[in-house]
Amino acid sequence: MASVRLENLRKEFGSVVAVKELTLHFPDKKFAAILGPSGCGKTTTMNMIAGLETPTRGFIYFDDRCMNDVPPGKRNVGFVFQNYAIFTHMTVAENIGFGLKIRGVDEATIRREVGKIAELLELTDMLPMNAGRLSVNDMQKVALGRSMIVKPRIFLLDEPFSNLDAAFRAYMRGELKRIQREIGQTMIYVTHDQVEAMSMADYIAVMDFGVLQQFGTPDEIYNQPVNLFVANFIGSPNMNFIPCYFHSQNGQGYLVQKHGNARILLDDRRRQLLERHPGNQDLIWGVRPEHLTLHAEPSQPEYLRATVRFLEPLGPKTVVHLELGDQDTIKVIAHPSYREKTGTVQWIEINPKYLHIFDAKTGLAIR
Amino acid sequence: MTQRPTWQIVLRYILVLIVVGWFTFPTYWMVTMAFKPKVEWSTAHGTIYWVPQNPTLDNFETVLTEYRGRFFRANQSSALPSIRSSIIVSIGGTLFALLIGTLAAYGLSRFSTDTGELPWYIALGRLGLLILVLLPFMVLWAWLGIIRYWYGILSFTLLGIAVNQLLDKFLALFYRGPTGSLAFSILQLRMFPPMAIVIPVMIMWSAFKLIDTWYGLIAVYGVVTFPFVVWLMKSFFDEIPRELDEAAIVDGASNWGAFFKVVLPLAKGGLASTALFVFILNWSDFLIALLLTTRDWPTIPVFLNSLVSSEIGAQHGPKAALGLLAVIPPVVFGILIQRYLVRGLTFGAIKR
Repeated sequence: MASVRLENLRKEFGSVVAVKELTLHFPDKKFAAILGPSGCGKTTTMNMIAGLETPTRGFIYFDDRCMNDVPPGKRNVGFVFQNYAIFTHMTVAENIGFGLKIRGVDEATIRREVGKIAELLELTDMLPMNAGRLSVNDMQKVALGRSMIVKPRIFLLDEPFSNLDAAFRAYMRGELKRIQREIGQTMIYVTHDQVEAMSMADYIAVMDFGVLQQFGTPDEIYNQPVNLFVANFIGSPNMNFIPCYFHSQNGQGYLVQKHGNARILLDDRRRQLLERHPGNQDLIWGVRPEHLTLHAEPSQPEYLRATVRFLEPLGPKTVVHLELGDQDTIKVIAHPSYREKTGTVQWIEINPKYLHIFDAKTGLAIR
Repeated sequence: MTQRPTWQIVLRYILVLIVVGWFTFPTYWMVTMAFKPKVEWSTAHGTIYWVPQNPTLDNFETVLTEYRGRFFRANQSSALPSIRSSIIVSIGGTLFALLIGTLAAYGLSRFSTDTGELPWYIALGRLGLLILVLLPFMVLWAWLGIIRYWYGILSFTLLGIAVNQLLDKFLALFYRGPTGSLAFSILQLRMFPPMAIVIPVMIMWSAFKLIDTWYGLIAVYGVVTFPFVVWLMKSFFDEIPRELDEAAIVDGASNWGAFFKVVLPLAKGGLASTALFVFILNWSDFLIALLLTTRDWPTIPVFLNSLVSSEIGAQHGPKAALGLLAVIPPVVFGILIQRYLVRGLTFGAIKR
């Protein structure tokens, strides 16, 4: 096992910059995810770690060893591709044993190791089968097995489950996490699916346009997003963003909605922070739908007045879309039995603990 | 669905029979001719023999046994040397073209951004420029009197390659976009009519002392069919996802290992059909073999052409007999590999 350290890693394809000065440290024996929308450079980063792409600039270290000039086959990484890349002209057993065969391991050892892996992945019955005849789900298991058998120092997975059906995907997520914990494997997982990243990873690196936005634990990413992109990308339904400005009156600090008159009273720490902030007339406040509560009566003065637009009943919860002020929409997660009519006036309670404030120009969080 | 009137069905079958007859009659004529005795070859005796009246194997005996001077235009008195020659040069040429062509195709498919696409004016323009630039040198070489010798030919060929490369750089000064394409240049090899290149090749081969040798023929066949191999195999390789190579490489295989253990086995259907196609081209070639062989290595088509006797002129029966024999290898080859000809072996390897 090994940790992976990227230093000022940059990759250009012609005039397109796929990855920009990426500096990251994936800790040893941990499960890390690279999360981002398609085209954000996450697969390119992965290919550079595996050695399939040569960085334009920058360095890749496994532990303390620079890997830039080590060919992919000698890096001892396992790579699972989104489309499995199963060798259809071989049997399942030959597929799983491929890495050992290439390394010149003797037949008996290969058979034993293949047997072990097959058992772990519940593929034993399928070993003599032609790999091309497997179901999509089993193909992905074979791909996992083929990478696992060489006992890689680092396991790289490029959206491995995105082609699986939903139930099996959930099952495999659990299995993968179990295997990772059991053997203490360093894993780096590329995905555009935040649920996958949040549910499996110890650490998440959020990328956009080839730039690292934030690196941290799922908790940090969710609760302390550093900028608008991360705040917007994580969470479903996504965070509410309301343009506002800072206003101070009688020693109290308020955030005032630009397209309406909703006001939020700030605590002293935030008031002082915003007083010193130069762009404090051009702000955005954000709060997640799950951190808002709806009330029928304005029992507290700081509740915000909003009108129900429509409901999205999702089963275990209902997403209520409301109009706040003139043109801002705000989503609130309500109890599944919530059934207010369009046009009903509701009062929104905001827990100030969960309030995020961003500079509208730079997009950075202010805290 | 309504039943068609009977006359329509009958008419349709009559049309089908006419078309099928039109295309299969020559084959029928060749097969029956092979078994006809001499009197039935032509209408000299007053009748057309649609079916052999007295089937005989005499024609086969005639082509396969030695009888010096029987065919005055042939340098051999039996077909056996030409059969041997055809087998050796066709298989040799096919293997040669497959060896270099498959590797080139893999390179173009995986390691090149060259799509083989050039705008027509660039393609034509660079060909024109190439000829324009090389023409004075050709005159110079001729004036120096070295164009007829191996060193003259070799130096001129190298010059041609160098000028070709420089043209890319030159054109790139005026035109943004692809100015040269290796894949296209390879295809361009096939754009000349064979007649146009076979005379220069004959002169070159005579300078290199390659006329009437099996390796000389193999070299020409290899080069002539090379573009087909490259373009066919490239399309087969393009269909095999790159992730398969990458998976093999990450698991420890070298580029060659990934090619031979993973990509080539997956492309074997394509390889088999390409091999058959190229083999048939080589096997049925007449022009190149006619000009590049004299005594020892004429191939079957060349030998067929010389089956004429002083006694009765064209030997139709033996010609048909040898023609029938010549059909056998491609047919057998085709049957042997037919299960590889079925496409779709690689499908399901990957989900797109």
